[in-house]
Amino acid sequence: MFAGASAAILVTMALALFRAIRGPTIYDRILAVNAFGTLTVVLIAVHGFLAGRPEFLDIALVYALINFIATIAVTKYVKFSHLGHPSGEDERGDV
Amino acid sequence: MIFKAVLRVVSKLLIPPIMLFALYVQFHGDFGPGGGFQAGVIFASAFILYALIFGIDNARKVAPAWATRTLLSLGLLLYASVGVAGILLGGNFLDYSVLAEDPVIGQHLGITLIEFGVGATVSGAMITIFFIFAHQDR
Repeated sequence: MFAGASAAILVTMALALFRAIRGPTIYDRILAVNAFGTLTVVLIAVHGFLAGRPEFLDIALVYALINFIATIAVTKYVKFSHLGHPSGEDERGDV
Repeated sequence: MIFKAVLRVVSKLLIPPIMLFALYVQFHGDFGPGGGFQAGVIFASAFILYALIFGIDNARKVAPAWATRTLLSLGLLLYASVGVAGILLGGNFLDYSVLAEDPVIGQHLGITLIEFGVGATVSGAMITIFFIFAHQDR
């Protein structure tokens, strides 16, 4: 059952990847990459149970969190062309 | 970005679990997937999310440059001092077995301290890298 689910998820990932490559606008691509990340989370979880190692769920959780942050970062960069604004509070700089 | 209500509320809800999960990955690294590097990256990603939503200036108030500098240096110092402590106690560099009376307990202590040093250094480095990137003018 888990093998069938993995195959179905892989097919869906291929479809999402196709939309990410072909997407006419940048928002199609962002949405496709976000869906691809969500499918990766599900694939990691299913593969964890397929391989008999449920601790893969930890990795799936991390992937979900990072995927969320990455989507916000990409969306902000697309909209504002910048990830932040200069502050320069410390005279010695950031390092 | 601070005026987007959904993003603001969701990020405020998500930042504490991200930090807690980073600590889980840090201290559970012996038994499952994870370790110091991964924990450091996840911990830094909480700060990066805060900086993305609430702006670099507010994030710099939470994690000032002196704090990330200190975190970076303290992690490396902890790593190196565990290694040198092995030499001083009669073993090789990074020899954990001599850190306690029982070699198994010594190895547990050594690997925990080493991973903690790695986590501190990596989180400081990741926060600093993101702030440098975000500070750049176009």
